[in-house]
Amino acid sequence: MLSPLFWIPVLGAALVGFWPGGTPARSRSIAIAVASITLLWTFWLLSQFDISNPGMQFTEFIPWIEPLKLNYRLGVDGLSLPLLFINSLLTWLVIYSGSTQLTRPQFYYALILLVNAGVAGAFLSQNLLLFFLFYEIELIPFYLLIAVWGGKKREYAAMKFLLFTAISGFLILGAFLGMAWLSETPTFAYESLTTQKLPLNTQLILLTAIVVGFSIKIPLVPLHTWLPDAYTEASPGVAILLGGVLAKLGTYGLVRFGLALFPDAWATAAPGLAILGAVSAVYGALSAIAQKDIKRMVAYSSIGHMGYILLACAAATPLSLVGAVSQMVAHSLILAILFHLVGVIETKVGTRDLDLLNGLMSPMRGLPLTSGLLVLGGMASAGIPGLVGFIAEYLVLQGSFSAFPIPTLICVICSGLTAVYFVILINRTCFGKLDNNTAYYPKVQWQERTPALILAALILCLGIQPTWLLRWSEPTINAIVASFPAHSYQIASLSQDSETK
Amino acid sequence: MSHVLLQTVWLIPCYALTGVILSIPWSPGIIRYTGPRPAGYINLLMTLTAFIHGLLALRATWDLPAQQLVIPWVNVAGLELSIPLEISSITVGVTVLVTFLNLLAQIYAIGYMEMDWGWARFYSLLALFEAGMCSLALCNSLFFSYMILEVLTLGTYLLVGLWFSQPLVVTGARDAFLTKRVGDLLLLMGVLALLPIAGTWNFSELAEWAKTAHISPTTAALLGLALIAGPMGKCAQFPLHLWLDEAMEGPVPSTILRNSVVVATGAWVLVKLQPVLALSPLVTSVTVLVGAVTAIGASLIAIAQIDIKRSLSYTVSAYMGLVFIAVGTQQAEVALMLLLTYALAMALLVMSTGAIVWNGITQDLTQLGGLWSRRPVSALSYIVGAFGLLAVPPFGCFWALLQLADRLWTNESWLFWVVLIVNGLTAFSVTREFGSIFAGKSKAMSQRAPEVHWPMALPMIILMGLTLHVPLLLWQWQLLPDWTTLNITAAVFLVSSSVIGCGVGSLIYLNNNWPKPVKLGYQPLQDLFAYDFYTPQLYRVTIVFVVGLVSNIISAIDRYLVDGIVNFVGLATMFSGQSLKYNVSGQTQFYALTILFGVILLVITMTWPLLIRLSLVLSP
Repeated sequence: MLSPLFWIPVLGAALVGFWPGGTPARSRSIAIAVASITLLWTFWLLSQFDISNPGMQFTEFIPWIEPLKLNYRLGVDGLSLPLLFINSLLTWLVIYSGSTQLTRPQFYYALILLVNAGVAGAFLSQNLLLFFLFYEIELIPFYLLIAVWGGKKREYAAMKFLLFTAISGFLILGAFLGMAWLSETPTFAYESLTTQKLPLNTQLILLTAIVVGFSIKIPLVPLHTWLPDAYTEASPGVAILLGGVLAKLGTYGLVRFGLALFPDAWATAAPGLAILGAVSAVYGALSAIAQKDIKRMVAYSSIGHMGYILLACAAATPLSLVGAVSQMVAHSLILAILFHLVGVIETKVGTRDLDLLNGLMSPMRGLPLTSGLLVLGGMASAGIPGLVGFIAEYLVLQGSFSAFPIPTLICVICSGLTAVYFVILINRTCFGKLDNNTAYYPKVQWQERTPALILAALILCLGIQPTWLLRWSEPTINAIVASFPAHSYQIASLSQDSETK
Repeated sequence: MSHVLLQTVWLIPCYALTGVILSIPWSPGIIRYTGPRPAGYINLLMTLTAFIHGLLALRATWDLPAQQLVIPWVNVAGLELSIPLEISSITVGVTVLVTFLNLLAQIYAIGYMEMDWGWARFYSLLALFEAGMCSLALCNSLFFSYMILEVLTLGTYLLVGLWFSQPLVVTGARDAFLTKRVGDLLLLMGVLALLPIAGTWNFSELAEWAKTAHISPTTAALLGLALIAGPMGKCAQFPLHLWLDEAMEGPVPSTILRNSVVVATGAWVLVKLQPVLALSPLVTSVTVLVGAVTAIGASLIAIAQIDIKRSLSYTVSAYMGLVFIAVGTQQAEVALMLLLTYALAMALLVMSTGAIVWNGITQDLTQLGGLWSRRPVSALSYIVGAFGLLAVPPFGCFWALLQLADRLWTNESWLFWVVLIVNGLTAFSVTREFGSIFAGKSKAMSQRAPEVHWPMALPMIILMGLTLHVPLLLWQWQLLPDWTTLNITAAVFLVSSSVIGCGVGSLIYLNNNWPKPVKLGYQPLQDLFAYDFYTPQLYRVTIVFVVGLVSNIISAIDRYLVDGIVNFVGLATMFSGQSLKYNVSGQTQFYALTILFGVILLVITMTWPLLIRLSLVLSP
């Protein structure tokens, strides 16, 4: 059931890569076919998924390298399923929006499919070593995708990305090995791993390695410097995958391997993590305000939104964690539409500079539909109700408020700052007077519109009916929280008030 | 039948939303074939449907107790978010008022937007506002009210930014959005904090809870201050008032709606929250203080404006300030009555002046004049609107202001004087505007200014009729005070303040011999009012400056410090590798030396414990 999510893209990558005489159009069609099969498979999985079951479903087990305890063990639960869906969907959209003037198309599509396979594998694997394997495997295709099809500073950006994420990998591998070797029965199997019996200090050290490792991937301040370069230099499609899919591996790992495996240590570290989340949110939002490049602005906005997820994970209430999962999905959708539209604007207008862009909302000469959707995307990111970003942010904030009131309020302020930079972006890019002498932009093709329209529809639908987004993860989250021992620290001053009434 | 109408009252906002969806096809592509107008007509039809439905539902709900209707929305992790609707004659009545005013605004827009291509956008945004306000009226939950206010903030941004190619429009839209958003987010903080304390967002339950709640004064104060921040932004109260003035760059039909009912959304939420606010004396005092300062300050600013629309916009802030005073002094019913009477009068005033904006050459008050004979309908509308707005018996606002003044008379007499002053200043202000536009001799700029055509004149006439009938309606609804309990003194004071305001205004502005432009004795004071207490500059040197500075500093730190360290580590690695390569020289002696050094180092480290003991032995 689950293996195809990994194997179809791998085989598809081989098919695209070795198909004789690959023109951009043909390679794209093959890749779309492969991605469509994966996407349909994901839909089928969604339909078969038993929402009320909090545990792993559709588990698969094949013994692989016994001495290393590395086994092929897959499973999916409410935490990974929404992310798997996002992975399949965004891959499909990225391939669909692939340009017809692409250089080395076979290589490109093959790499994208490999990324898809790697991420899917990581979300599915229930063996720590297997997870690590997938986690590291994607680095290579991503490195190549940035380094070959990127912008001017692509080699620098790609190298930076590679080094940072490699360090992240080492830390995580170290933590995993420590977890396995220090526990009584050495194992890498997720469900039989017991770390609760370790001394708290050991747990804290292991947790620190995991948090730092995944924080690089997410990324959180101050480990984020690879992100603006990588997101900006990568082509829009690759940036979508980087921000929409790869970064989610970090947040997923944080919940799966940090929160769920080290409840005690997590509870100890939570106040610090909450502050870190708030700092990331402030830092990302303020940096975004100062940017002149719209793609860089969107990249920094991503750092800010990741701060909310960390805050929610730190609070670890059922509400905040459901919020965190939905924020992961919401952020992926919103980031994808923003990067896609920014990419469209860049290809049509030829610049990403805020000082040069102007008046794109103009109905005849400008890009009205693109601008309209950009407004939608920006406002969704700023957390306007009725769009998917709001409900996710709101659950995060409401869930975290009783545990950490001050960091939560700081995040509310950041939501205002998000509005500030998106208003700057929209005012400069879409509003204003278009210069009729220079405005001879190529027409936006349906191939470029469709992905944005699909994303916009999802953002709207999930915003108006959030249950479709929230219901997947709730039982799993409840199970995670139920095993969470320490709730003593979650009594805030405000809730004390209500108890005394 | 009536039961069905009441149970389907939630459809009223949905009609408008349907209009929004149906006008999507009139995005630029299809306009080439049909022109932009069908989108407008569709929305007009939808609003008419909503109006009729509301009217029938109002009949059905008359004399019935309030009913609750719950629409499930989200239920997640122990948090149940269902949309509670309150169906009472007040809430349904508000939807009727909103749909009615929107209907008139849309008819007005047929004329006003005659030459515009952006009909689909404009009408669907008006419909969004209609839907938002109707659902706000029906909705009985703070959380959903917050959501609606937030969506309307976005709506304001887009509606003010309708003519986005003009620079002033762009900055106006930006400021409207960000100012309101500041208020909204503070409100969100209140919303977040309220749930753990009160356990509900339902306004009726909150009122029940507030009766018995014991929370610490600090919490109550912080909570209340957060909760009034949202309405302060919406109602354009000091210091969040600037946006309303700048929003005047938007099209007039949207101004009709904005000045009359959109600003009142904040007041509506404030009225609903009044029991919670009353928990903290500090909050009520702040509410009253904000209202009083805004009311007086904004009426003074209004007098110093020379733009036909801006002058009115400050009057809006002033009246909303009066509503704040009413809520702060626990007079929710008076606040609602004032909102009703005010909304109709203000809509009429905006329609009348909007006509001049539309086909006059200028909207500068100092260059207009003598339009009385050319624009009789507009002039009459203006007079009726002004009478409706001021404390002039027997028109609408008189009764509302009288009730307000009556309560203040006994409890807080300084506020009574505030109301009087505001009324007097507003009377002067509207008389001044009337005199500048309609009276006197016609000037160069007002030579060619014919009366507007029927789509704009019709709504004016209808609204004029309604405004004149407001006292009858109030009488019908038994909202007028009994003759026996009427506070004659307060009424006399109120009326004399109107008379003095209008009198002085007429003396100066209906008088051709009085030299114009009129100067206040002291120029800096006049500038202070004319430039809106220098609020834009104040924003610029405070919040805008701070955010800009901090973001630039953070960005610089990010680029040079955080990223700098990373790049330095990279460079250092490269450099050390580059320098070490010179060690690989190929000479045997050099390698032998290295080996020797290595061996010595190794031997020392391995025998270190031994060596230490040796040294202890050697040097006792």
